[in-house]
This record gives sequence, structure tokens and C-alpha cells, in this order.
Amino acid sequence: MKSERFRWYTYGLFSLALFGAMLLCVCAGSVSVPAGDTLSVLWNALCGKPSPDGISGAIILSVRLPRVFCVALIGAALSLCGAAMQGLLRNPLADGSTLGVSSGASLGAVMAIAFGVSIPSLPYAGTMAMAMLFAFLSLMLILFLAYLLDKSLSTSSIILIGVIFSMFASSVISLIIAFAGEKLKSITFWTMGSLSGSNYAYALILALALLICGAVILRCSQELNAFAVGEDNARSVGVPVRRVKLTILIAVSVLIGISVSVGGTIGFVGLVTPHIARMIVGPNHKKLLPASMFSGAVFLLLADLVGRTLVSPIELPIGVVTSLVGSVIFVIVFYKNRRKG
Amino acid sequence: MLRKSVSILLLLAILLSASFALADGAGITVTDMKGREITLDKPATRIVALTAADCEILCALGAGDTLVGRGTYCDYPESVLEAPAVDSGAGTNVEQIIALEPQVVLMNTMAQTLEQVEALENAGIKVVVSEATDIASVYEAIGLIGALTGKNAEAGEMVAEMQAAFAEITANSENAGKTVYFEVSPLQWGLWSAGKNTFMDEIATMCGLTNAFADVDGWGEISEEQVLARDPDYIVTITMYYGEGPTPVEEIKSRAGWENLKAVKSDAIFGADSNEISRPGPRLADAARALYEFVGGEAADN
Repeated sequence: MKSERFRWYTYGLFSLALFGAMLLCVCAGSVSVPAGDTLSVLWNALCGKPSPDGISGAIILSVRLPRVFCVALIGAALSLCGAAMQGLLRNPLADGSTLGVSSGASLGAVMAIAFGVSIPSLPYAGTMAMAMLFAFLSLMLILFLAYLLDKSLSTSSIILIGVIFSMFASSVISLIIAFAGEKLKSITFWTMGSLSGSNYAYALILALALLICGAVILRCSQELNAFAVGEDNARSVGVPVRRVKLTILIAVSVLIGISVSVGGTIGFVGLVTPHIARMIVGPNHKKLLPASMFSGAVFLLLADLVGRTLVSPIELPIGVVTSLVGSVIFVIVFYKNRRKG
Repeated sequence: MLRKSVSILLLLAILLSASFALADGAGITVTDMKGREITLDKPATRIVALTAADCEILCALGAGDTLVGRGTYCDYPESVLEAPAVDSGAGTNVEQIIALEPQVVLMNTMAQTLEQVEALENAGIKVVVSEATDIASVYEAIGLIGALTGKNAEAGEMVAEMQAAFAEITANSENAGKTVYFEVSPLQWGLWSAGKNTFMDEIATMCGLTNAFADVDGWGEISEEQVLARDPDYIVTITMYYGEGPTPVEEIKSRAGWENLKAVKSDAIFGADSNEISRPGPRLADAARALYEFVGGEAADN
């Protein structure tokens, strides 16, 4: 009999893959540091000893390691959100970027920068709070509009509204940029998204958010399985539909909002990796959700590695790499789905 | 000396291009920087300039009163703000420009398209393309604008002044093998730097410095670890300061992992005026002087 949950060794395998990807990404980079040096820097840091002389310590500990943590956490968060939304809406194309939630989060962050929304003594908290708030508001708005159009929340109508909302959000961003004057430059750079500024503080915030929201979403695995058959089915087996939906949507908004405010909008991660995970572990959310988190982290780590090293010393924005791979997979999934329907 | 002969050649080139402004009756014929020929009956008195640099050149030549419209980003000197602003770049609004009834529109084709140029020409407005990509072509742009406005003498003087300023800096600096890293945008938005074929690179060379990212062509987003590995002697940031939080220079000093860089340890970080150093106009000389003084001051301390 196939187990419903992950066995410990499956977790072990996934963790091993993630650890391997992280190690690879710490060892490889635009500046080549011998693997032995890298490992000794890491070992010394773990033992609390100062790093050996030279620049390798600074490169590994101040640049690569925090970035690797942030990338892995963002990948896991976005992928988990994608998997949860795909299950909740029974829509294989649902994702923060296709539904316009990421654009909504960017809009919130841009407004925070333009109008100087900030929380004293907590740098960047204003941007993050606005990004989360707008992620949630835009998700609600998109779902409400889609519901008006088509009560079953069918695939194409919800994606259509998501695309329209994305366009709306980006034109409002352009409008704000037009009025922002001096702050224009920081906003334009912001909308391009970058992981260069990653630091341990961001990684800690991401980790906390993923720990809390991830636990909330994972606890809903059973309910998501019930949704997969249909909302009415879920209701009839005793799932508190409204409450579960709201819980998941809030958790998703928080995760997307924080991810966007750290790394900008990174498209397609949440769309693509749940599908890859589904191919590996099947559609049961008890396995799918954790598998999505692991594969999302690995996928984004590898994409970031390509972006960092392909045309060194120049750095490609990570969104370029993920969108390139993601859009191809998007088309494949869309066509496969259409043929089935 | 090679440098001297280069500048003599440049001067010749400018004189040649200025001589395109033939005193053919009262008419003026100029060849713009896309090789297009433009003929005017008399010096232009109504000009719309879309790029900030062209506005600066016009005003510096004493022809600021001919400006009847300006691009939205033109903000120097302050007097240009009196001219009505028109959309520039991809959103260049042909109607707005026509309504200002200019004789000449000065624009570049980096931000504007050739289609927009054609649309204006069809409306009977002469379009002059000024497109400086290096200091030599800034001289050409100054000569061109001088010819258009009947300020040839002033243009010649301005070019000579700039050349003298640059020559003095070059003569007083020697290449001591020190490197400089130009930071165009702060870490938070991804590090952008200016590589070769930029004004910053040219100015660095004048000051006897080597651009740490000379292997990058134009502007590009570079890896933070590359900056750490290349350990530049000087850092020049052109990030604007909005008066809140740490200044760009302080922010660079506070970055984790940067504390052991030579430039951070010796406090050799310079906050340059971003408009001076990136606009192809007469203020490039000021930008070069500012960097020279900063670097020179450093050398004197050692």
C-alpha cells in the first residue's frame, strides 16, 4: 500500500537534494573560490572561529550564504503558495504571478516607497506590510471579480482577470512613478527586483514567515484534498469551506508579500515547481505541499546560480531565468490541460 | 605626446564640423550626429530640447532664451524649468511639441525612435539628433548646437575650456595603478556599474585611475562578490540622497563583508553628482574636476 504521508526517508532524500543544491550554490559563484577554502570558511564559522585571511571569508559569509538562504526560502514559499492555490482553486495555472497577486504586492511596496510609508525603528517593515496588505487585497479583488463572472471560478476566467489586474497594477505603478519625481530611480530599480541585497535579517524574516504560514497551509492538506474533488464535496465531508479558504488565502498573501518585498516579483516559480512535484509524488496534498517546498527551493537556487554565473561579472535578474523556463512549462501544462478538458 | 595629438585632432574635427555651418547667404546647414543634413534660413530662435544635456549646452552657450520647451527630465540650470515640459523618451508626445511651434527639436535616438523623428519632420519641424556617447562626441554636440543658434564662437570657447580642463587633469595625474569602482545603483536594487565606453570610465582614465569593471561594456548589473574580489582603491557612488536614512557613502561603509575593502578602510568613497557625471554636457568637466580633487586629496594625505 502506498503511504499517505511521507516516510522519513523521503524527507531525507528531499533534504539531501536541497542541502546539495545549497552547497553547490555556496561553492559556485561569479568569483571562483576553491571548494576547500569555501568549506573551511563555513566550518570555521560554524565553530565560531574567525575566517582565514583573504576575501573568501567575506564573499562566502556576507554575500553567498545569506543569498542562498534567501533564495531557498523564497523558492519554497512561492512554490508552496502556488501548490496551495492550485489545489484551492482547482486550477493548474494558478500562481502568484498569473493571478496578479505579485503585481498587487509590488504595487503596495511601490506605494510604500513613493509615499514614504515606514515604521520607525524597523527598516523595510513599511514596505513589507504594504506588500502583504496589497497582496491580500488584490487576491480578494481578483477572486471577487472572477466569481462575479463565473461562479465555478473556472481556469480561463480567473487567469484572464489575473492578467487584467496585473496590467492594471503595473499601470498604476507607472502612474506613481510619473508623480514620484526624485524617488523615481529607486522605484524603477525596485520593480526590476533583485536578490543582491540579501542579508541574514531578510533570511530570518522569511524563515519565520515560512515556518508559521507554511505550518498553517500544511495543516490544511486534508481540506485541500477534499477541495480537489470539488467545493461541494468538501462542504459535504464537513470542511468549513469559507474558513479554510480565508486561512489559506491570508497565509498565501503574507508569504507572497514578504517574498516580493525581499526579491521583487519572481515569475513562474510558484506555477512550475508544484507541477514538477506532482509528477514526482502525485496529487495528494499531504505529500505535494512539502515536496513543492523542497523542489521550489532547489529550482530557484539553480535558477539563481545560472543568473549569477552565466555572464559573469554581469548578473542576470533571476526573473529572466525563471520566466524563460517557466513560460515554456506554462504552455505545456496549459495545452495538456486543454486537451484533457 | 599621444594625448596632445589626440586633442589637436579633436579640435580639428570640431572646426570641421563647425564649418558645416556654411555662411551660404544667410542660411545655416548642419550635419547632425546621425549624418542627416539640416538647413535653416537663420539661427534658430525657438528650440525644443528633449534631453537634459542639450538643455544644459543651450543655456551654457547663452542661448537659453531660445528654449520654448524641454523634456521632463531637464532640470539644469534652474532657468530651464521656466520652459514648458513635454514628454520625452518612449512617450514623446508629437502633438505637445508641435503646439510649441519650435523651429528645431533637439533629441537623441537612444530614448526616442526614428519614427518619432519622422513624425515631427512631417509636421514641418526640423529635427536635429545629438547623440553623444563619449567626450569627443560631446564636443561635436556642442559645435552642432552652437551652429544652430549662431553661437559658433561661444561653442568653440566652451569646447576649448573643457579640453583645457581635461588636459590639465590628465597632465597632473599619473597612472599609479589604482582602481576605481563606479556604483550606479545601491546594493538593495542590485549593483549597477559603469564599464568601458562610459563617461565615468573616460573621467577615471583622465584622473589616472583604472576602472575596476573595464571588462563590462556600458552599464551592467554586476555581482557583489566581484566587487569584493576586485577590491578597488576607490569607490564612486552616484546614488542620489533623499535626505532620509544613511547617506549613500555611509550605506556602502556599513555593508556586511565590505569592511575589509581598501576603499572602505581608507575612507576613499566619493559621492559624485549623478547628473554631472552621466550627462553628455559641459558639466562633465566639473565632474572630472570633482573626482580629480577627491583622488588628489587622498594622495596628499598618504
